[in-house]
Amino acid sequence: MPRFSPGRYAFSLLVALIFVFLLGPLLVIIWASFFADKILVFPPSGYTLNWFVRAWGMDEFADGFLLSLQVAAFATVISLALGVPAALAIERFSFPGRETIRQCLLSPMYVPAIVAGAAVYIYYIQVEILSGFQLASTFTGLVLAHSLIALPWTMRLVCASLVTANTTSEEAARSLGANAIQTFFLVTLPIIRPGIIASAMFSFIASFSDLEKSLFLIGPGKTTLPIAIVNYLEWSLDPTISAVATVQIFIIGAGLLISDRFVKLGKAF
Amino acid sequence: MSSVTLTNIRKNYGELAAVDNVSLEIREGELLALLGPSGCGKTTTLRMIAGFVAPTAGTIRFGDREVTTVPVHKRNVGMVFQGYALFPHLSVAKNIEFGLRVRSMDKERKAKRVAEMLRWVQLDSMADRSPRALSGGQQQRVALARAMAIEPDVLLLDEPFSALDAKLRAQLRKEIRDLQQDAGITSVFVTHDQEEAMAIADRIGVMNQGKLEQVGSAHDLYKRPASRFVAGFIGKCNLVEGRVTGEGRFETSNGRALRFSGTRALGPAALCFRPEHASLGEQVSPQANSLPVTIRSVTSLGPLTEFECVTDNGEILLVTAASGDVGLTPAAGKKLSLNWLLDESFVVE
Amino acid sequence: MAMIQAPGQERHLRSGSLVLPALFFVAVFLFAPLALILRYSFDRYDPLTLMQGVFTVENYVKAVTDPFYRNVLLTTGNISALSTLVVMLLAFPVAYYISRVESPRLRGWLMILTVLPLLLGNAVRSAAWMIVMGTNGVANSFLQAIGLIAEPIKILYTPTAVVIALVSVLLPFAVITLQSVMDSIPTSLEEASKSLGHSPLRTVVSVVLPLAMPGVAASAAICFALAMNAYATPVLIGGPTMQMMGPVVYGEIAKANNWPFGSTLAGILMAVTLILTILSTRLLSRRYF
Repeated sequence: MPRFSPGRYAFSLLVALIFVFLLGPLLVIIWASFFADKILVFPPSGYTLNWFVRAWGMDEFADGFLLSLQVAAFATVISLALGVPAALAIERFSFPGRETIRQCLLSPMYVPAIVAGAAVYIYYIQVEILSGFQLASTFTGLVLAHSLIALPWTMRLVCASLVTANTTSEEAARSLGANAIQTFFLVTLPIIRPGIIASAMFSFIASFSDLEKSLFLIGPGKTTLPIAIVNYLEWSLDPTISAVATVQIFIIGAGLLISDRFVKLGKAF
Repeated sequence: MSSVTLTNIRKNYGELAAVDNVSLEIREGELLALLGPSGCGKTTTLRMIAGFVAPTAGTIRFGDREVTTVPVHKRNVGMVFQGYALFPHLSVAKNIEFGLRVRSMDKERKAKRVAEMLRWVQLDSMADRSPRALSGGQQQRVALARAMAIEPDVLLLDEPFSALDAKLRAQLRKEIRDLQQDAGITSVFVTHDQEEAMAIADRIGVMNQGKLEQVGSAHDLYKRPASRFVAGFIGKCNLVEGRVTGEGRFETSNGRALRFSGTRALGPAALCFRPEHASLGEQVSPQANSLPVTIRSVTSLGPLTEFECVTDNGEILLVTAASGDVGLTPAAGKKLSLNWLLDESFVVE
Repeated sequence: MAMIQAPGQERHLRSGSLVLPALFFVAVFLFAPLALILRYSFDRYDPLTLMQGVFTVENYVKAVTDPFYRNVLLTTGNISALSTLVVMLLAFPVAYYISRVESPRLRGWLMILTVLPLLLGNAVRSAAWMIVMGTNGVANSFLQAIGLIAEPIKILYTPTAVVIALVSVLLPFAVITLQSVMDSIPTSLEEASKSLGHSPLRTVVSVVLPLAMPGVAASAAICFALAMNAYATPVLIGGPTMQMMGPVVYGEIAKANNWPFGSTLAGILMAVTLILTILSTRLLSRRYF
């Protein structure tokens, strides 16, 4: 558009307002986590960092945070271990049923979380009844379910990375005598490294912020951070919970920033 | 129908002047070509006339009407885009009718006009087809009909022939020219192809690096180029460096005396002549300019033969002659005299 | 003499071994469970043994005839539909803006800002809305401060609140889908429209909207599916009186242990989601460009 006409101005304003709608509540909650008053009132009488300290002192939040971290870490590793080879196979080889398999591996993304959570829960219990092997309410069971959430992200990001990567370097390496494994480690891996790192980050984030699956699979006495937040919120609303939410926001935000250094995030969508 | 007047038009992008102080008048009913290499500013200028780009400085007028700050949709320009930009979700007839939708016309009149336009570009049978079913040439005609349906003041065409193959190009440019003359509409088209510009435009505006170097008919530009750039862009040109030493007198940088017609300020300049106006011979003709040269190479171009020669000053000059005229073909290494007529000599900066 | 394997077979073996672990994992931990709940949805609940092992469609019948559950289905449908409608109205201008913005840096930033809330998780986002919409929340404090209301009004725990919160959850998805559709519509078409006399606003209606329509429909389908399956938002923002499918499924399976019926509801959710996903994929591939 040539110049800033009133129409264009109004349009920009509308879009800005929609972004305020989208991001405003998040800014509010970050702001509220510093309020000095015990009950949430606006405007606050002062500011303090006490709520962060208090939240950390509360078992459910501290434990929830640690559990979320651990589960996310394991889920990320599994997601990469399964997803990277699969992505390689799909993008570099052709075999019957390739596209169907690709959709299968991406499918966890399309199954509603609540449905998948319920299904996995029932399944675990059934497996336990049949074999005595307990998965429900266990750390392992939780990690496996979270890996399911993370896998499609790895698939998507590593596939995208492989698609844009040049196969000519790989072909050159092969023609110079490198075998498949050598080619992979020396040529392919460095090229897709940004994709792998981004996958790791997104897998971690997806697992960390999951709610519905964890709800079903968490054991008695255990909790993840999102669940702890929801439980707390069902009873009260005070700055403590804002502090906890703020912590989650910053962890995820940091994860994104680190990801962004390795991969242009726009490409993932 | 109006004339289009650009006065001191400038467009800056940061430090870069994409269009640098261009003033131009396009006369009513004429077809003017904006010609130049890519990046010269011709497309930016066209888009400023259309209204998609706002000039940093200067004014634009359609006839008496100043349109510099008028938004595109109120300017009443008809534009044919490089990819034709036909609406894929509308039929050919609906595409043509598109501009009429915002004018107060009753259904009957609109239908009549659309039918008229279809007839004008000879696409009556294609009215209900989808644009994707048409060939490139047909799409272009629809684009033209669509632009003209609204009875614009000016018709603008952005490299209208670049998407077509050479044969189609030659045919279509004649068609567009005929249609334009038939409608008598003031038109501007942008191209980087000098042959195209020379073939159909009434006048040509040559642009280079944002500046308008010269405006004139193809003949004017060929015979009397105003600058080195124009001389080299329109056809081929030989340049001999030196200085103007007097009325019609020129001295080369190694001291040879040459003559030219026309007046020129004293000082450093280049003497130009076209390869097709030069000849090689043993003798030096008194009425002509002449330089001793050594032939470097001879290239046969079929009906023409091109001689690449070197002067004693190290300058390369080209001579083109009809192959039939060249008697005993001079071979490389031969020293001859390169002659050309005074009338065919002109001086540029 | 060793048999030399044909290159094709060898490659299949190699690619198979790379892809099989992941495939196996998904089959065991997703497909099998889903098949299981499909089976259970046709079973009958028993307070003692949990399931009787019969095959019956009575759960499905109950889901649509029992007034309580029918109400749940209707509430879910209505709220999802309304949220979808509102979100499409908001997402369209945003997607258009992002698609047509000239500076790549600004565009990148806008995309990140759009996606950021998505990655924070529904728990945090719901918490944020509770703080805004609560009795002592930002909204009420603000309205009281500027004198529009004398006492706090009830925003939280109303259907309106749920719609608002859902809209903000859906917005990033809608914007991302729509924006890629808009990207595929060449700006030269808009320029052509303007040169023919259509104002910028009219151009959006007469050119951009028709061409973006399949994308709009696809986006709406996805949003509807997401809204339908929501858990955290109805629970936290809707309160105990808001009965939507997500929380009801959780209640039936984890609290009431009525696996057959819970599976039925989950099955309904899954089926509708599947249909909408397929529909939207079809729509997205049926484009002009």
